[in-house]
Amino acid sequence: MRSSGMNMWIAPLLLLVCGVLVLYPLVYLITESLNVGDAQTFPPEEYGIGNYGELFEEPRVILNTLLVASIATVMAVLFGFIQAWILTRTAIPGRERLERLMELPYYMTPLIGALSWGVLLGPKTGLLNQVWRSMGWNADLFNVYTPWGIAWVMALFEGTVAFVMISASMKSMDPSLEESSRVLGAGKLRTALKITLPLVAPGVLSATIFVFAEMLGSFAAAFVLGIPGRFFVVTTAIWEATLSFPPDYGRAAAMGLSLSGAMVITLGIAKFIMRKGSYATITGKAFRPRPMEVGAIRWLLMAIAWGYIFVAVILPLAALTLTSFERFATVIIHQMQFTLANYETAQQMGSLAPAFANSLILGITVATLGVPTIGVLAWIIYRSRMPGRGAMEFLIMVPQAVPRLVFGLGLLWAWINIPIPIYGTLWLLGIAYFTVFMPLGLRTIAGVVLQVDKSLEECARVCGASWTYQMRTVTLPLLRPGLVAAWLLIFIASVRELGVSIFLMGPNSKVIAPAIVNSWLSSSSELSAAMALMQTVMVFIAVAILFKVARRVGGESV
Amino acid sequence: MSGVQPRIEVKDLVVRYGDATAVDGVNFSIAPGELVTLLGPSGCGKTTTLRSIAGLETPSSGSIRLNGQTVYSSSERRNIPAEKRGVSMVFQSYAIWPHMTVFDNVAYGLRVRKTPQAEVVANVARVLEMVQMQSYADRPSSKLSGGQQQRVAVARAIAFSPNVLLFDEPLSNLDAKLRAEMRVELRELQRRLDITSLYVTHDQEEALAISDRVIVMSNGKIEQIGSPEEIYNRPTSLFVADFVGAANMIQGRVRGPGPNGTFIFEGQGGISLEVEAPSAGGGGTIVALRSSYIHLTPMPETHNAVPGTIHRRMFHGDFIQYVVDWPGGQLIVRRPPTEHYAEGSAVTVSFLPEHCVLL
Repeated sequence: MRSSGMNMWIAPLLLLVCGVLVLYPLVYLITESLNVGDAQTFPPEEYGIGNYGELFEEPRVILNTLLVASIATVMAVLFGFIQAWILTRTAIPGRERLERLMELPYYMTPLIGALSWGVLLGPKTGLLNQVWRSMGWNADLFNVYTPWGIAWVMALFEGTVAFVMISASMKSMDPSLEESSRVLGAGKLRTALKITLPLVAPGVLSATIFVFAEMLGSFAAAFVLGIPGRFFVVTTAIWEATLSFPPDYGRAAAMGLSLSGAMVITLGIAKFIMRKGSYATITGKAFRPRPMEVGAIRWLLMAIAWGYIFVAVILPLAALTLTSFERFATVIIHQMQFTLANYETAQQMGSLAPAFANSLILGITVATLGVPTIGVLAWIIYRSRMPGRGAMEFLIMVPQAVPRLVFGLGLLWAWINIPIPIYGTLWLLGIAYFTVFMPLGLRTIAGVVLQVDKSLEECARVCGASWTYQMRTVTLPLLRPGLVAAWLLIFIASVRELGVSIFLMGPNSKVIAPAIVNSWLSSSSELSAAMALMQTVMVFIAVAILFKVARRVGGESV
Repeated sequence: MSGVQPRIEVKDLVVRYGDATAVDGVNFSIAPGELVTLLGPSGCGKTTTLRSIAGLETPSSGSIRLNGQTVYSSSERRNIPAEKRGVSMVFQSYAIWPHMTVFDNVAYGLRVRKTPQAEVVANVARVLEMVQMQSYADRPSSKLSGGQQQRVAVARAIAFSPNVLLFDEPLSNLDAKLRAEMRVELRELQRRLDITSLYVTHDQEEALAISDRVIVMSNGKIEQIGSPEEIYNRPTSLFVADFVGAANMIQGRVRGPGPNGTFIFEGQGGISLEVEAPSAGGGGTIVALRSSYIHLTPMPETHNAVPGTIHRRMFHGDFIQYVVDWPGGQLIVRRPPTEHYAEGSAVTVSFLPEHCVLL
């Protein structure tokens, strides 16, 4: 496309803005990690690598992190693999519906999951533990406030990520590869071992590594279930370091950067394996392999598939719902006292009602301003021939490689030290959300931009349409579903954001997720359950609209 | 009608992408009402040339004139955007907008030009009738078959009465039977509208069938320009002889002049042939001989008669293809299905000097 006058200045301007938003906090983070003098002064009086050295003086945190991440990864990949195999390769009843429901755990978030499993399996008071004890056992069924409990919750909600990746690699396998093995005389088992397994192995391996990297940087579950027992992983240790007196920002920054480094390397390996070893995805075509007839065990397989949805979505939500309407959380029927008090309290409590309003305002504003901005960026990056668009894409994707919590720390430092008084306001949260959700928006919009054949736009120009006329009549209408999806995804991500918000919210700019966490740690689980449920309902309404939009697009098939 | 002023004039066109040169100094012009084909293998620069004329590609140098008006010139630093060039184009992917009805698709070019609504309706109806899609006007275009999309794409391209129509491999996504039908229809339509057209294809049969003139391209350069008959009967280069039609290449060298202004060409196995005078006058080392121009019985009017044996016979329906062993090696010969020779039978390979093109 021709670079018209407008494009000449809009691209460098956007590049500059994005560059500042992304790099400015990172520069602070790096500087602070090298600060071995007084942690409160900026710029540092003394530089050194002491903060990094300290990391290894107490290896417990690192070991904890690796332990939890490993257990959780094994469980998540197991869940994901089994679900992927059942849903893509076997003929069980209700496959399509189950496949759609598999997206729900992702929208549940680990925070809500951790809260609800806390309600279900907390020592003594946990609902399932109550049932267990009432059945005559004299101990808890399971205590979720342990490394195993943290890993369990993390695995449940990361399992759907593993599912998506593994089922993608199963779907991209040409069924004729298996069929030719059968035709040449190999049996079902031999085909599975000699053909199917080697073909999906790279996909499974790269999913495993990817999930492991995500686990290293995950915060919410370890925070909700680990802090009460003073069990720390890297992310919660970073949080703890900023709370100590005086706050040890240097050590927190060093931990955060080391964590990012570890994650980037791990993700790099996952990507490398995916590219190198994957014979299956070379064509990039999606196949629908003929599902295997599994006879009577299809009911067992169906039960397993539903079982995952049950423990990841239905059981947690049921527990939250029950608890939120009770005076005291219990499943012993004659002790139940139902009440609406928790919801009334949630509305009355000084900071809570504003927290909901703030989250809504932020979600709507960030999505509404973010989508057009990212839309223009996506168009420049994937459609124009503007120099520097590769750099722009890289820059926008950087926040993805840094755990939210660590980026929040950088933002905290960066904006405390700027003479513009926006620290502790919604403005700062808005800027921070926009920065960390840029990769999400860009990926979503890029998906549709790349789907729209270039000749559709070219044809409009040849028909005599100017650039603006073409945008209005062809490009934007074709992109609309993608733009709506991006809006909803950014909205959802905003209203449930925790890692960045926990550092940046001030007394007058509270938002939901950290407010729920605070309530959980300081007051009753019944009240927290009510709040968590309200947030979940908000997210699920947006998800329902999202599914509807997605279905319409799927039917139209651009 | 001046008749002299070409509709399309391309001069010294060069298109480079980084280090790669896609189009390397191309020159041609197209007269009003003519249908000219750019023919060549994929990657030869034909589509890039077409897109440069449309204004979808920015050339590196040269000039392009449409209706006498310069739309691109590197020396004048002029590059008129696609929407101001008044050309129209049928895309390989059809580029039918899925979010519009058939009517809206076809009306697009008219509405861009702010045509009054009544005129839009009349014009759309007229062109949809031409492509026999009048009953589909209100259909959502995402529900059309490939052939129907193709027709809508053509209707849309001609609806606003463009000066020049560009076709970018428009039939390559259709199946063989539909392709043959559409070929006839496109040629009909182009004749009826008398619209100047430039047509890109890699299908030599298609190019020969529909064109007034064919431009054969290879590696960004023009190999030959001529009528379909000239291209087929008088290829000027090995590339054209090989790419267009089926031909046998006979290695050898010119021995000297023969009777009636021909040359004596000595090939492998000691065969001696009378061949046409080389066009460039130089001594060629290859004779190109079309498979369809070879007879398997002696022809009285030529001395080119060599004994051979049928090695293999393959029935193709419209013709029979024989592989014939002869002193020069093997020859591919195509004969009508009425002429039948059994494998192993002895034949006399015979052909006219004028069909032996010395290269």
